[in-house]
Order: sequence, then structure tokens, then C-alpha cells
Amino acid sequence: MKSNFNVQLYKNRKVVWLISFLLCLISVIGMLICLRSTSIQAPLNLGLDYTGGTQITLERSCTDDCITLNTSDISNNIIALKGQDKNFISNTPPNLSSSQIQLLDNSKLISIRLPFLSAAQSESVVSAVNKSFGPFINKNTSVEIIGPSLGEQLLKSSLISLFFAFLGIALYINFRYDRRYSFLALFALLHDILIVCGVFSWLGYLFNVEVDSLFAVSLLTIAGYSVNNTVVVFDRIREKSLIDNKLSFKYQIDKAVSATLTRTLYTSFTTLLPLICILIWGGSTLYWFAFSLVIGVIAGSWSSIALAPSLLSITSQKDFD
Amino acid sequence: MSRKNYWFLVVILFAVLSIFICTNIPFQLGLDLRGGSQLTLEVQPTEEIPKITPNEIEGVKAVLDKRVNGLGVSDSQLQTVGTNQLLLELPGEQDPSGAAKVLGETALLEFRIQRKGTEVKLRDLQSQRNSLESIIKLLEDNNNSAQLIKEININKEINQLFENYSINSDQILNIDQFNLLRNKINSDIADLFDATPLTGKYLINAGRRQDQNTNKWEVTLSFNNEGGELFADLTKSIAGSSRLLGIVIDGNSYSEASVGKQFETAGITGGAATISGNFTADDARNLEVQLRGGALPLPIDIIQIRTIGPSLGTQNIRLSLFAALTGLLFVGIFMILIYKLAGFVAVLALSFYSLFTLSIYALLPVTLTLPGIAGFILSIGMAVDANVLIFERLKEELLNGNTLIRSIDASFKNAFSSIIDGHLTTLISCITLFYLGTGFVKGFAATLGIGVVLSLFTALTCTKAILKFLMSFQGLRKISNFINPKLIPSPSINVQ
Repeated sequence: MKSNFNVQLYKNRKVVWLISFLLCLISVIGMLICLRSTSIQAPLNLGLDYTGGTQITLERSCTDDCITLNTSDISNNIIALKGQDKNFISNTPPNLSSSQIQLLDNSKLISIRLPFLSAAQSESVVSAVNKSFGPFINKNTSVEIIGPSLGEQLLKSSLISLFFAFLGIALYINFRYDRRYSFLALFALLHDILIVCGVFSWLGYLFNVEVDSLFAVSLLTIAGYSVNNTVVVFDRIREKSLIDNKLSFKYQIDKAVSATLTRTLYTSFTTLLPLICILIWGGSTLYWFAFSLVIGVIAGSWSSIALAPSLLSITSQKDFD
Repeated sequence: MSRKNYWFLVVILFAVLSIFICTNIPFQLGLDLRGGSQLTLEVQPTEEIPKITPNEIEGVKAVLDKRVNGLGVSDSQLQTVGTNQLLLELPGEQDPSGAAKVLGETALLEFRIQRKGTEVKLRDLQSQRNSLESIIKLLEDNNNSAQLIKEININKEINQLFENYSINSDQILNIDQFNLLRNKINSDIADLFDATPLTGKYLINAGRRQDQNTNKWEVTLSFNNEGGELFADLTKSIAGSSRLLGIVIDGNSYSEASVGKQFETAGITGGAATISGNFTADDARNLEVQLRGGALPLPIDIIQIRTIGPSLGTQNIRLSLFAALTGLLFVGIFMILIYKLAGFVAVLALSFYSLFTLSIYALLPVTLTLPGIAGFILSIGMAVDANVLIFERLKEELLNGNTLIRSIDASFKNAFSSIIDGHLTTLISCITLFYLGTGFVKGFAATLGIGVVLSLFTALTCTKAILKFLMSFQGLRKISNFINPKLIPSPSINVQ
């Protein structure tokens, strides 16, 4: 009986490995560049959640035609608080000159990044900017202050939860299949996560995109998704090798991948659809979250269709009996 | 009623129940969706208590709980995070720094007796305070007018005062500097008084009221029995003398009261007292809250504050919901295009799935946040995947020349192991995230986890029940109705 697809994975395995290798290489290079760059100094451009600091978002009360503001004017306005405002007269005043100011949504939103401030200090900043560049819609003002210790803690807890999630998944596959499947599924997962991190290190380096705690959430989701996809293919390979054990293992892998290809493509597509909708219509809050998931879903489909099964074919069939 | 339609009825019943739940129980929206403030407080160790145990955290939490309730923010939440932190959510509160002040300060209340021979000094300080208070009042009434400040600025006496207290008055003064000066004077006044055993720990309640005659706010206190006796003793000892009773909060004297001769024999009994400083309504409220909550056993530090404007939140929820629904609509169209009637069954099953999930969110309740909504959308992706796995198997079974009914049964059986593996691995990461994550990471894990479990349920029961129900109609029982025949190239299933 003919199948819809006839993938010749074994024949093309070296192309698959080369593509994955290059993608991982580019990712590692991106992370190294970020690590070496003086402004980032980490493999990824870590955001407020991880480094600590203050983020103030102000919404201007202009409707369609907001006059563009000069960000350095705002910056100078904030620096002027030093020594003038009672909240900034102390022995160790925060460094106000390191503020980063961005205009968002056609100059409607002003986003100000500052070092860690106290609640009263951040209020002084809000009222100073309000005085010179207002009026603002006060009730839409958003202030986030994250202490440096909390940021460190978040980073640590994100890494710990990633580690334990991987461990749990590996143990489960080990229990359901065997050690080699579990190893390859983890390998595929790390490949996907590496690529997503790589994309974000380049985005961080080139466009100053930062990773926040939602990014850690997306990595975990990608991990779950990637393993899910790989397992479905592995499940079919195992089934094929039990039924058609006269065929060579390499051929069984090709057949299993062909049989699950439609499903993997459909599933990836239906998962991508809502994500792409969030990218287009979801507003700014979830934009980079959805973006990292899109990259992860594409990488995950690639690794489960091509990378993991082709690596499985290196080993001989009897290793899996 | 045939056995195969029995399940279909159960599914419909569940769906009706879910609609009832969703429309009657409101969803709990997180701060990012409804606006408000979120504060992370860290309990600091002291020399006496170098290590913070869960017991100490509970003590701090109990005091903070009382103070939070005193603030009058509804639906506020205070929970312990990790070993030394507390997370406080104040929905709707737009001024977290005010709240932070009330929460973090200790408000140590003391009653002190005036030292002998300090009458002149006290009178001087009191008159300085009075003139400062009238300036502050004037500034408040005139909205801190710059012109007025300039006029005061050239006042020699005031300038001398600022110099005495080494308050930087080089720049133009503002109301805060006057307040600071007043506090320094209050602290000097307190120093003219001697401590007594009566402190805030004997308080059982604090309140506030507005004086009918002067319109000024006062804070009322009531003591327990022991405190009442101490208060009576104290007032008795100075009744009729020129010595005053100072009410000192955090080292600043708020008011100095004389005790009339009539209390010489028994002192003021009944265990109640009033502090009549120069309070605004807010001052009085804050002081009341702090006094009533008692002293914090350990100092706290505010390490994180988030404030989210309510309309930023509603805009976000609308955008995300719109995006999610549009995405789902596309998924539905795609499924029907690809799988025909089976795709329609999947759409129905997915609608049931969404209903069940939402009603569980309302029932538990799960606090919905933006990451939570993302988790929900992703769990729909998982639910679609389960259906795709089943239908792809169905296609294969039909390709192998099996009958429709047998193919349906076989497809569920064969897809089961893939579905279970995929769902369980995701569930494992959800559980990990839920236990190790904090705040909104937890919310994401919760919504995705609930979604995964329900998706497993709907894929294996609802889809099957609906498929079987549709098959009980003669007219529909053709393979070409269920699966797009063009996708199946084999001639064996070209049923004409």
C-alpha cells in the first residue's frame, strides 16, 4: 500500500546533520558575541526581570497625532532630579544618567528604564516627566521595580525548573522506551532550545530585544512541544520495527517518518496559527513570547521529522530490541 | 437509546453544565488584566533573629495582613514566596508607594512623661512647630504655590530653623522640606520626655474620628486591662502638675497633653486615649492602620513593585482574546477543509474542550493572567494535535481497506500511545513549572496543565462519542462524508 509521502531520510541524513550543525553553530556564535559585547555581557540580552531595575511606562493623552519627543530631553529631565529632588538626596544616589528611553506605539507610550529605585524615587521620576512632557493618562501609568536580588533569584529558579523539567521528561521516555530514545529526544530538545536562544541572542545583539521571564516559560513550552513531536515519531518507529521486522531498520525509520509526516506538518501548522495571530493582533505584551514559540515550533518540527530519526538510524536495530 | 449514543448524551450534559458555570461564576482576573499593584516584600534578619524561619514569616504576615485589611483594598492577596519573601497583590490600587509606606513602617507607640525643668524649651519648640504647621497648611491650601514659597523663603526665622536642623535650603523649598523640619522638631520634643512602661503592645484597638468642633482628625486608642492600669497610673502621677504626657510615635512626639487636677486620685480610667496631632484624614488613617496592626516583628524591605494601569490591562485582554479566537477560527476552517466531517467533529470536540477548560478555570478558581491565556491557547494546540493523530490513523486504516466503523475504533486504539506520551511529557514540564516557578509562571503552568488533562479526556471520549453519534445516521455513514476522499488515493475506498 502506498503512503502519501516517501521520505528518504537515510539517503539525505548528512544534509540534515549539516543544516542542524550550521544552525547550532550560528546560535553559539550569537551567544558568544553577546557574551563578549560590553553592553550585554551574557549569552542573552537579559531584561529587567533578570537584572533588576525600574521600568516606567507612561501613556500620553494625545489621540492620533502625538508629537514626537526627543528622548534625550526626557533623559536630561530625569538626570536633573539628582541633587534637586528630596528622594535623590542621599549618600548613594542611583545612577540616573544610565536611563534608557524609548517611544512606542507612534510616540503614544514612553518607556523609561532606570536602575533600581525606591517607590518614592520612581514616583519623583514620574511626576518630573509628567511636569515637562505631560499630560499623561495617569491611571495607565505602569511602574515595575525589581530588586537586583529578585532578578538573580528569578534567573536561578528559571534554570532550575528547566533542568528538572528535562530530567522528568528524560526519565519518562527512559521508562516508556529506552535509554537511546530518551537520549536522542533530549538531544533534539536541546537542539531546539539552542536555536531559539541563538535567535534571541542575535535579536538582542542587533535589535536590543531582551529576554524576560516569559522567555523562560516559552523555553519550557518548546521543550514539552519538541519532546511530544519526537515521541510521536519514535512511537511509530517502534511500532514499525515490531510489525515489519523483516525490513532493515533504516527503511523502517524512513517509513515511520513518512507515515507521521502529514500529522507533524498539520499539527505544527495548527499550533502556529494562533501564535501567528498573537504576533499580528496580540499587542506588544505577548509579541516576543509568541515569536520565540514560533521559532521553537518550527525548530521542533524539524528536529522531530529529520534530526532525531536520522540520528536514530546510526545505531543498529538490535540496540532497540 | 443505544449504547454508543449514551456517551454523546454525557458529553452534551457536561457542555450544558459548563456553559452554566461559565456564565454564572465570574473568572478571576490577574493584576495584569484588571490593573493594580503587586509588591514583593523581603523579610530582613536582625541581630537578635539572624535566621528567618517559617514561624517568623508567619508573624510578619499576620501583622501585614491586618495592615493590608486596614488599607481597605478589596480582594487583596498576601502569600509567602520562598523562604523569606511575601507577595502582596492589591487589585485596583494605583499608589503602591503609599501602601508600601503604611506596610513597611513599624509605628512604635510610646507614652512619655515630660522631664522636669524643660518647660521653656518645650514652649519654644511647640511655638516653632505651630508656625511651621500654619505654613504647611497655607501651602497645602494654595497648592504648594511657588510665589508663596518664595515669600516664606526670605523669612529669616524660618531660614535659621532650617540651618539649625542642617536641612539643605539652598534651593527653593517645598512642602516636603517643611514636613521634614516639623518631624525633626517633633523628635526634639520627644527627647524632652522620659520613657514609661506604657507602649503600643498594650493596645487592643485603634480608630480615628473627626473632632466635631475643630474638624481635625484624631486617632483613638483603647488599651487592654494591663495597659489601662498603666495609663491610669501614668495620668495619676502627673495630674494637676505642669508636666505633660507625650504621645510619641516612632520617636516623634505627636501631641503633648496635660492631665487635669480631677484625675489626681485615680488617673484616667477606662483604658482609652486620644491622639490629637495635626492629622489629615490620610495621616489619621495610616496611623490607625499601623497602630492597629501592631509592630512588625522583623523589618521588611520592598524589593519589587509592579503597577499596571487598568486600561492597559483591558486592552491587552481584548487583543489577546481576539487573537486567540481568530487563530482558533482559522484552525477550525483548516480542520474542516482537510478532514471534512471528521474535521467538523474535531471542531465540535474542541469547542467542548474550550468550554470544559474555561469552566474548570472558573470553578477552581484559576487566576487568569496574560501568560495564562497563552497557556490556554497552547493547550488548544495540544488538543488539536490529538485529533489530528486520530484522523491520520483513521485515514491509514481506511487506506488498508477497513470498514468505517472498524477504522474508527482502530484509529483511537493506535493513536492512544502517541497521544498519551505527548500529553504526559507536557504535563511533566507543567508540574515542574508549577512547583518551581513563581507568580505568573505558576499561572501559565496551571492553565496549560489543566488544558493537557482535559485535552486527553476530550480527545479520547468526546471526539469518539460525536463520531459514533454521527455514524448512527444512515445518510452520513459514507467514508467520503467523513474524510476527504481525494486525500486517500487507494481505489478500494472509492465508495460511490
